[in-house]
Amino acid sequence: MNDTGLRLQASGGLQKSAARIGIGGPVGSGKTALIECLIPDLVSRGIEVAVVTNDLVTKEDAKRLQNSGLISPDRVLPVEAGACPHTIIREDPSLNIAAADKLNSSFPELDVIFIESGGDNLASTFSLDLVDYWMFVIDTGAGDDIPRKKGPGIIRSDLLVVNKIDIGPYVGANVDLIKQEAVEVRNHRPTLLTDCKRKIGIDLLVEQLIQDVLFTDV
Amino acid sequence: MQILNSILGYAADEPFDSALHDLSHAGKVEYLTISPEDTSRRRMKVITNKGTECAIALNRDQQLSDGAVLNISADRAIVVRLAQQKWLLLEAQNHAAALEVGYFIGNLHWKVEFEGERLKVALQGPLQTYLDRLELLIKAGKIRTLTEDD
Repeated sequence: MNDTGLRLQASGGLQKSAARIGIGGPVGSGKTALIECLIPDLVSRGIEVAVVTNDLVTKEDAKRLQNSGLISPDRVLPVEAGACPHTIIREDPSLNIAAADKLNSSFPELDVIFIESGGDNLASTFSLDLVDYWMFVIDTGAGDDIPRKKGPGIIRSDLLVVNKIDIGPYVGANVDLIKQEAVEVRNHRPTLLTDCKRKIGIDLLVEQLIQDVLFTDV
Repeated sequence: MQILNSILGYAADEPFDSALHDLSHAGKVEYLTISPEDTSRRRMKVITNKGTECAIALNRDQQLSDGAVLNISADRAIVVRLAQQKWLLLEAQNHAAALEVGYFIGNLHWKVEFEGERLKVALQGPLQTYLDRLELLIKAGKIRTLTEDD
């Protein structure tokens, strides 16, 4: 480097800027339950969490989290889509961006803001203007042919979570086949199995998020 | 892991232009190739052309673009290089087919541009995935695919 008084600087430590992680997937796949599992694990690692929920015409998911005792209620903000939920996480995510910005300014210590949105079967995807990283949640109760259907949520998400692996055997769904075909259609991008009732796979999921987007281990 | 949490400036602007010129002669400039779609992300893990693992974590008011300088010192500079967008070019057989393919692609939420009578689909995944979705329209002769040279 020449010495001409240039005000060049190398990057230093990580600045405090909360990561924004989308959690999408069909209604009933267990997204809110997954967040209920993630919060205590993240908090135990000293990671500060907030959540934006998206519901069609209610605040159901937000109320559930606010009443869970897992997180301060004012760290949960509801957004009512009023229409197809995918439109406000992809086509025009301004309502969700505003909600995340509000959480960020109210709680500058935040490390991560989860933005949860359901619906639209396998087709919903997140705008990367809204989130830095997004996971798509499916459940074994919907059948073991879901990965073969190759919806955009399955194919394009940064991380696929196959949830409710405990109920697969009761509905004739082959969990191993789901995992194998998911890995294939996603060209070996990350796919994890979880069971929120028994907290199976949650630690691996948290470690994946830390490694891919939170960087709190660096 | 190299943490990169700020865009310090741009390669074409001074004082970075001169500094990068000097560093490049010493083989000390590393490039991060980012896809057009990923420029919207503020956080991601990437590896430079020289194998340095990087964790990008920008503030929300910064956005990656070609030539963004993320790190510079006497030993090394790390600069963003924007990957070229790849396109699938489509040509409809007639107006009815054009309407049909437009409706179909709209339902799939693909990103497109119009170039005269051609429809350009931005590839955000493997080409074959797009061709699979269009298979019936192609087989029916309603559309044909073109290369950039056609």
